[in-house]
Amino acid sequence: MRNPKANNIKLGAFVLSALVLMIFAFFIIGKNNNIFGNDFRLKVQFSNLNGLTKGNNVLFSGLQAGTVKEVELINDSTIEVTMQINSKVKSFIHKNALAAVGTEGLMGNKVVNISPVKGISKKVEEGDLLKVKNTANMDEIIAKLSKTNDNVAIISEVLKGTVLRIDSSAILKLINDQSIGINLKASLKNIYKTTSNANEMTIGLNHLVNDIKKGKGTAGLLLTDTSMASTLKDAIVQIKAAGVNANQMTNQMNTMVKDLNHELTNGKGPLNRLLKDSLTAKNISLTIENLQKGTDGFNQNMEALKHNFLFRGYFRKLDSKKKEEQSELLKSSQKK
Amino acid sequence: MSLVIRFKNFLDETGNIARFTARFFSVGIKPRYENKELFNQCYIIGYRSLPLVGLTAFIMGLVLTMQLRPSLVDYGVESQLPVMVGLAIVREIGPVITALIFAGKIGSSIGAELGSMKVTEQIDAMTVSGIKPFKYLVATRVLATTLMLPLLTILGDAISLFGAYLGVNIRSVTSFDLFFLQVFKSLDFSDVLPAIIKTLFFGFAVGIVGCYKGFNSTKGTQGVGISANSAVVLSSVMIFIIDLLAVQITELMGLN
Repeated sequence: MRNPKANNIKLGAFVLSALVLMIFAFFIIGKNNNIFGNDFRLKVQFSNLNGLTKGNNVLFSGLQAGTVKEVELINDSTIEVTMQINSKVKSFIHKNALAAVGTEGLMGNKVVNISPVKGISKKVEEGDLLKVKNTANMDEIIAKLSKTNDNVAIISEVLKGTVLRIDSSAILKLINDQSIGINLKASLKNIYKTTSNANEMTIGLNHLVNDIKKGKGTAGLLLTDTSMASTLKDAIVQIKAAGVNANQMTNQMNTMVKDLNHELTNGKGPLNRLLKDSLTAKNISLTIENLQKGTDGFNQNMEALKHNFLFRGYFRKLDSKKKEEQSELLKSSQKK
Repeated sequence: MSLVIRFKNFLDETGNIARFTARFFSVGIKPRYENKELFNQCYIIGYRSLPLVGLTAFIMGLVLTMQLRPSLVDYGVESQLPVMVGLAIVREIGPVITALIFAGKIGSSIGAELGSMKVTEQIDAMTVSGIKPFKYLVATRVLATTLMLPLLTILGDAISLFGAYLGVNIRSVTSFDLFFLQVFKSLDFSDVLPAIIKTLFFGFAVGIVGCYKGFNSTKGTQGVGISANSAVVLSSVMIFIIDLLAVQITELMGLN
């Protein structure tokens, strides 16, 4: 009060500092709120806001780009959100950019995320309607997780059973048994031997087949000689002809036998008399007796003739000829 | 005193204050203005109050931060401490604490000063000498309190936030830039403007109540003490009532 001028200066400093602070605070807040900057509006239509309200932040690729200015229900499944976007970001947002409702951190405030999409598109203008990118919200994720959990529980239960069965199965015992390995080794050796033998055999067979092809050996001759095949054919033809002849002969014989039979039964002809007539039989036996007697007599006559000096030389010659023939026969058999 | 008489007295007092306020608007606003006295009062009321307001604000910011910290740590949102403290200081603690300190310092001084002037018949002497005492004494003081309290509140908020910054740094480390960004990121015009506007009413209430009590003090030196005391009590109560009204109005306006 003593020095009003100095007091006024102090008062002025006090008032000014307070006013500057206030304006500064307003400016900072206004910068956040985009009231002083020249900005523009974009719109998005969501079906579910998940709690997004007026004043929430709008992020473009994670960068603070503006705030939610207005939330308006259009119908039961559409809510229009008007966003105030900083004009600095305007030249970077394209018309095909996608908007989604997100969360700051896990439990934080809701935000609108605008994310750019690859591809050529015009830049946004005042009042453009952006497309919505569907993202899973927390509840959906948790619901899906619980389903996944159930599935994992089922799978692990089944796996447990399977593992137990494998543990107690014979296959595992087989795997653990060492003697099986040794046996298997021996078996494999045998198989190896067998196969090598089989190989040798096939080589031999191969040679044989080659020989046969070339016409070596009897089999080769049989299979390859064409002349023999023709002779064989001829022979078969002849055999066939012989068969036919034989057939004819048997036919003839058959008729003959039939005739004979007929004659025999009917009692006609000489045969019937020969076979059936008892008188003839007596005569025949008589004849044979007579013949016997005749030959005996002839025999005696012949003996007498041999001893007769006239015919003795002839009989001697007959004997020596017989002896020569016999010795030649012996010699030829020894040679063979 | 029966309850009816008390109630009648209360209504009488309220009516008188209303008249006094109306008189301020009818007489005080009109020219000629006592500019020199207004600046003088602004210096006394505003500038002289700053150290006290600054100290209380600083302590308040520091203490509030330290008190809020454990519960935020419990919830695992320690990083939100600047946001919490910033909002609390700017919206409520800053204006109300500053206004209460202001009421204690300025309300009592105005009440005592005007009361002693009234008792010693200086006011009557002024009337005789052609100076309008209401214009010279009351209007300047009421205008000064109304204009100075918002400025004190803004400065007090700033000092309080600095105290909060130190409070955060006692247990953990944060850069001033980050603290500043976090605080102002959470602040909106709907936080700051109602808080500043209500301090205008706080200041007006302190000025009017102090002047009324002083202007109407009686009974000699005892009356000066009574008027000074009742000026502080009534203006403090008025601050809380206005605060309640302010929060209701901002709620209705959808600014909350």
